[in-house]
Amino acid sequence: MLPDATAIASLLERAGIVGAELSSEGGPGLVVRVERAQAGAVVQGLKDSDHAFVFLVDLFGIDTGEHVDIVYHLRSIARDEELFVKVAHEYGSDLASVWETHPAALMPERETAEMFGLTLSGHPNPKHLLLTSGSAPMLLKSVEIRTAEEVRNR
Amino acid sequence: MSDARDTVAHAGWLTADKPSLPDEIPLTLKRVPSGVDEVMTEHLVVNMGPQHPSTHGVLRILVELDGEEVIACESVVGYLHRGIEKLAEHRRYSAVGTLMDRGDYVSGIHNEMAFALAAEKVADIGVPRRANWLRVLMGELNRIASHLVWYGTMGLDTGAMGQFLYAVRDREDLLDILEDVTGQRMMFNYVRPGGVLNDLTPRAEKKIRAFLSTFDAYLDEHHALLGGNEIFQARTRGIGVIDKETAIAFGLTGANLRASGVSFDVRRDRPYAAYDEMDFDIPVAESGDIYARYLVRIEEMRQAARICRQCIDGLPEGEHTAKVAKVLRPPAGEAYAAVESPRGELGVHLVSDGTDRPYRMRYRPPALFGLQAAEAITPGTFLADAVAIFGSVDVVLGEIDR
Amino acid sequence: MNVYLVALLRILAALGLMLLNGVVLIYMLRKVLGYLHVRLGPMELGPHGVFQTLADVLKLLTKEDPTPTHVDRALYFLAPGIVFVPSLMAYAAIPFTGTWVIADLELGLLYTFAIMSLLPLGLVAAGWASANKWSLIGGMRSVAQQVSYEVPLLMAALPPVMIAGSLNLTDIARAQSAVWFWLPCLPAFLLFIVAGLVEANQTPFDMSEAESELVAGFATEYASMKFGLLFLSEFSNTFIFSSLLVTLFLGGWQVPFVPVDALGGWAAVVFLIKVYLVIFVLMWIRGTLPRVRIDQLLAMGWKVLLPASIVWVMLTGAAVKLWPMVFGGVQ
Repeated sequence: MLPDATAIASLLERAGIVGAELSSEGGPGLVVRVERAQAGAVVQGLKDSDHAFVFLVDLFGIDTGEHVDIVYHLRSIARDEELFVKVAHEYGSDLASVWETHPAALMPERETAEMFGLTLSGHPNPKHLLLTSGSAPMLLKSVEIRTAEEVRNR
Repeated sequence: MSDARDTVAHAGWLTADKPSLPDEIPLTLKRVPSGVDEVMTEHLVVNMGPQHPSTHGVLRILVELDGEEVIACESVVGYLHRGIEKLAEHRRYSAVGTLMDRGDYVSGIHNEMAFALAAEKVADIGVPRRANWLRVLMGELNRIASHLVWYGTMGLDTGAMGQFLYAVRDREDLLDILEDVTGQRMMFNYVRPGGVLNDLTPRAEKKIRAFLSTFDAYLDEHHALLGGNEIFQARTRGIGVIDKETAIAFGLTGANLRASGVSFDVRRDRPYAAYDEMDFDIPVAESGDIYARYLVRIEEMRQAARICRQCIDGLPEGEHTAKVAKVLRPPAGEAYAAVESPRGELGVHLVSDGTDRPYRMRYRPPALFGLQAAEAITPGTFLADAVAIFGSVDVVLGEIDR
Repeated sequence: MNVYLVALLRILAALGLMLLNGVVLIYMLRKVLGYLHVRLGPMELGPHGVFQTLADVLKLLTKEDPTPTHVDRALYFLAPGIVFVPSLMAYAAIPFTGTWVIADLELGLLYTFAIMSLLPLGLVAAGWASANKWSLIGGMRSVAQQVSYEVPLLMAALPPVMIAGSLNLTDIARAQSAVWFWLPCLPAFLLFIVAGLVEANQTPFDMSEAESELVAGFATEYASMKFGLLFLSEFSNTFIFSSLLVTLFLGGWQVPFVPVDALGGWAAVVFLIKVYLVIFVLMWIRGTLPRVRIDQLLAMGWKVLLPASIVWVMLTGAAVKLWPMVFGGVQ
């Protein structure tokens, strides 16, 4: 289930991706951290490799307080392996779509972009998915959730 | 993989050279040349939902029609968005279960179980064997209930009203059992980190046995009424085909994926609870059309009943929950746990920062991926087929909108 | 009595029958569908809910009747009338007994079919005038299906005509004194049932009001009494089609082994019992089967039913001509 970290590392080097950090401690599995500019190439490279990470399980974001971590959860059905690609995005930066590699990303990217205040580019339908347009990016830690008092006194 | 990209680009409004579409698509008649002399014809842009007898929840589907044929189709969701992921960051671990119930409201046990598994991974809590068996038992009963709802709405979508009521009649028995065990008909809050809420009473056990003794015969009846019907088969065979590559490309899981020929089941491939001790088959179909998804789900109901029998007969002794602190404070960490919900792989990615509330809880909704796939394959079919396709991928808006 | 007075009384009797039929069928539909669906149907008003229809009618009469802004006013108001009047007129030629018929027309069958063929006009008018895209789709579907199935319907009705030698519905019924025509014309009987289900807009062929796709199809924008008229005429069409089936294939008012006119007035009761049994079977089908897709329906009509009905007409014609030669005597 856990792919061989050295195999993945060498795969990424061969694909020309430098500076990727791999770790399996304290996380959900093997986490590959790459730069924002490399994200698309990494996802495509992992898919084309003989590990065949063709299945995008999930695409979502985590607000770490300093930046937004976009997580691509990939799975290889043939080898039954999973890994997580984490990409750090500055607040308000651009999220490049990977829908051409994984069409499964279409709706999750819309949701992630609107929930974390990122701009979605390269996407055929970048409209809001869940929130009405003009809403604050809800999942950012800086956006306060209303307390029960506030809701009552509105 | 060009196939999947082509199906997405085929939907008329979704083209890369129109990156910023207005939020409201004007619902007008679009005049287009008909191809015959100078005659202009009109494509109707119709709106199905959010209130419509056949959308499965508050789903709005914009359809551009050329007569009866669907040219383009776009689904609009968000009518049921309640901010479950944001709310989960402000609640203690024991309270998040109530939030998860309300995601996919038709199969609450699986939602709760996904979160409980993730919390147990992060907090490193062991679950007693009896609790695991109870989780499996309740989960499979909930699976049958959810599939019965799907079966009934499949009948309604194709025009057969009777089947819905027969399905609901059987579901009433299940909800009765679930209410007996958990106290609630739908929002159970039963599976908690560490175990389950209540143990099984003898009265509940009797009800479960009574249900299981008649269910297989009723299931045959249901299958004969709808699946055996020629009209239904003409409406569903060869319609809405999702082939293997498209299914994988769109992230489909569960019955949708297995009906397209890929045998992946979280219960077997990432075993959780007591599934590694259970003996069950996983139905896989090859054709990927609506009828295949129908057959896979009917067979899943049968297998679920089989698992329930094994659970009831072999329930081990022991505690129904581990001793878990009232206020759970797991160490900082991150975990992903998935369950096989009736809709597919329902995953919870939990990030903990050491406090008593989750730092980030991501709820992976299997129905969202199903909706995308349905939306992509609908152009080119008829309006009546569109209704059947959206019904066959089993969308529940509570899960998609969270 | 004055001829005009008699005619007026007969017309009022037809109207009364139509309304009474609507009342009975609403209750019957709800009860039959209810029991098919493992539930009870109306139970509140009156013993076993028999006064439910009264409540429904009162509701329809007192409901607010909003007219949407952009409707084609003339057609919007006329459409229920275009649907209602032919339904009423079709009662004229139906023989309830050997002597009880409102108008004993020599061309009874032709008249009935001609009048019923005006219905698609009303449905498409209702769909178009409603200024609602769903209604438009419903209206288009209904006109496509009803126009396509009129020819197989007529063709399926021809074998009884050929055997009886007359278009007069009373004569056709009388000609079944030896054997009811459903047996010698079994394919025609089945074709007539299928084509008639399409003409009467019943499931499995109710695409024009397909609830799960089109809300209420062509009738979505109609409220109150206009909606009442549309659905009264739908029930009326069901009755007409069933009574045609009974007259053409099931012996009309006759009971087996009883001479034709021996029953007198009771023959009307026999006729009505038969008609309502047929309607019960139609409702049974309605509560069980899913809906056919419109293109599959049209394909079936043009490619299967039409050739089948033509072939059967030819075979029946040959048999009718050859029968005296083979078996001697007059049929």
